Amino acid sequence: MTVVTERETRAVRRTPPPGRPRRKISRESAAAWILVLPFVLLFLAFTAGPVLGSLGMSFTDIKQRDLRTPFAVNGVGFGNYVKAFQDETFRKAAFNTAYFVVLGVPLTLVVALAAAVLLDRGVKRFQALFKVGYYLPVVTSIVAIAVIWRFVLAPDSGLLNTVLGWVGIDGPNWLASKTWAMPSLIAMAVWRNFGSAMIIFLAGLQGIPQSVEEAGQIDGAGSWQRFRYLIMPLLRPTILFTSVTTGIGYLQFFEEPFVMTQGGPLNSTISVSMYTYNQFGFGNYGLATAMAYILFVVIAVITFIQFRLLREK
Amino acid sequence: MFTHSIRRRLVIGSVALTATALALAGCGRSSDSGDAGAQSTTTVSEGPATGNLTVWAMGTEGENLPKLMEQFKQANPGVNVTVTPIPWDAAHSKFTTAITANTLPDAAMVGTTWMGEFADLGALDPTPQGFDNSGFYPGALDTTKVGGTQYGVPWYVETRLVFYRKDLAAKAGFSTPPTDWDGLKAMAKAMKDKAGAKYGINLQPGGTGSWQTVMPFAWSAGANITGDDEKSFTFDTPEMQEGLKYYQSFFTDKLAGTDLPPNQTEAQFVNGQVPMFISGPWMAGSVAKAGGDKIKPNIGVFQLPKNKTATSFVGGSDFVVFKSSKNKDSAWKLVKWLSDAKTQASWFKMSSDLPAVKSAWQDPSIASDPLLPVFGKQLDDAKAPPAIVNWEQIAAQFDSEVEKMTKAGQSPADTAKAIQTKATQIGAGGS
Repeated sequence: MTVVTERETRAVRRTPPPGRPRRKISRESAAAWILVLPFVLLFLAFTAGPVLGSLGMSFTDIKQRDLRTPFAVNGVGFGNYVKAFQDETFRKAAFNTAYFVVLGVPLTLVVALAAAVLLDRGVKRFQALFKVGYYLPVVTSIVAIAVIWRFVLAPDSGLLNTVLGWVGIDGPNWLASKTWAMPSLIAMAVWRNFGSAMIIFLAGLQGIPQSVEEAGQIDGAGSWQRFRYLIMPLLRPTILFTSVTTGIGYLQFFEEPFVMTQGGPLNSTISVSMYTYNQFGFGNYGLATAMAYILFVVIAVITFIQFRLLREK
Repeated sequence: MFTHSIRRRLVIGSVALTATALALAGCGRSSDSGDAGAQSTTTVSEGPATGNLTVWAMGTEGENLPKLMEQFKQANPGVNVTVTPIPWDAAHSKFTTAITANTLPDAAMVGTTWMGEFADLGALDPTPQGFDNSGFYPGALDTTKVGGTQYGVPWYVETRLVFYRKDLAAKAGFSTPPTDWDGLKAMAKAMKDKAGAKYGINLQPGGTGSWQTVMPFAWSAGANITGDDEKSFTFDTPEMQEGLKYYQSFFTDKLAGTDLPPNQTEAQFVNGQVPMFISGPWMAGSVAKAGGDKIKPNIGVFQLPKNKTATSFVGGSDFVVFKSSKNKDSAWKLVKWLSDAKTQASWFKMSSDLPAVKSAWQDPSIASDPLLPVFGKQLDDAKAPPAIVNWEQIAAQFDSEVEKMTKAGQSPADTAKAIQTKATQIGAGGS
């Protein structure tokens, strides 16, 4: 609803007022162009140029040692893309990334929404404190987080296994286990990232007028029904936003395996970003950029699907 | 999202870096490429070093080197040396970026396994004539040779020995350390059965750098990484399989664990859970730090056990001069001074880096140490991988196949075959 009205106002604003001379607009736009020119130039030189350059690189056999003679490299067509898909480790990395996204994104959103609802309804007095508390992991350095989680996940003396020991469960060696390493990293990522989605959900919840809920109450809807049929639909744009940003972030899953497991054990936590990074490190620039573009296309497609599924009807 | 923006910056940053490097590459001097392999005919002139020198060094070496440079300046009053310390994690990419952008220092410390790559990029200046190479450990000297040309000199060395708990070994019935493969196996077993250890020995079950522990066994069985041409690989040989089989047997016999937490080697050595491991000289210090004075008399080392040979891994760093240096003559004088036995001995006292020059080991600070002379003996039989360009990449595949062998039961034969296939796919690299 809100979006529709906003669109209408924007449309109205866009139509030029009648009778205004055309020359003045072009002079205005000339001034605007001059003002944005530094940004445009920097953008072209440091973002658009390299992006296009790397796209070109992905179709060549360029290696690190070729950087001195960049015009001597050979075009290989889609060779690097084919090579990436033939690479067993890349396929494993793609599977791991999908596993991480499919489990991690919904979990993060559910935890974030639950935390936002609790903060919105409940403990008003300590709201600021909890907001900061939940948001803190988001801005904490991954190194500090790694230290904390190594302590939690340590096999013998770790917090988690000690607690499990109290109830008689012999916990696994989380990060060294093929089965448990990925779930451990997902838990870590959810803990680390739900705060930012929560802040956005909270803003969305607080933007819903009290009267909506009151109307539901008068009509006799229970609290779950009110949440499901009144609040959730109104939160749709917020859910779209958080699922898209979380999804994009999780598709580029990198830091957790990089600092915690180095992709191991037996490549069970290696991600597409991390494998791409490794290939860059080995100087295989052609192959690495091809992998980066594969990831880019996947992100674009998934984001497009999310928009189609969740957009305002 | 925060994490997302970091990743974006990483990606955009690296892309921008590449583009800049591409742009700068056009300015590179064309004479720099293509003449790798040419033997130097230049000599270093007489007289003291002069002018400005910039030097890069990694880790604690970078922090300690300025102290040593004070001595160099006393001997060469006309010289001014600037040392830039570089963290190890960032060093490789900093060097390769500097090579492409032509912003290298005059001289630098370089990790031994990078020599092939940097020489192939045309960055290193061949060592001039008049350097006395007879004093270096042969394994260390080999790390400076790429395709028959010597670049730089060995600066310091390290090699791997078996560390063991003397008190627990006595409990297990070993008064003298074992000398052959069967002996090491029996000792690991006795440590577990009689001395109450969880595992007999700590061996790395794959993962980054595990090749440094696996290769010595393969070398000892007579295996080699490449043929004499240093282009074709010889990973799939009976000798390599024998080394891998021996390594794997520690895991299948439960004498070594795949479930040990990382960075706990010292702690588990001190508490007796895993009373043996294979590592370099720095571990004596970190074990003593973890266990206090009580542990010190109980730290023992012995040379790698013998099969055909008793070959260990030699690591360390070389000191090189870059081709782009504008003050090469003085830079080589510095390198020459650094490889002098007296300098090497005083550097050991500052850094505890082991000298690459044999005669420096006669210095009382090393000769009277309870453990260090054993390292000196092992250095007479120690090897480094050949200086091939793509070594880091091949090593990563090696590590990952070893992990499959120790953790997922892949057979030594399949492991050797897989390493051979992958290494051949990657290729030795270079022109």
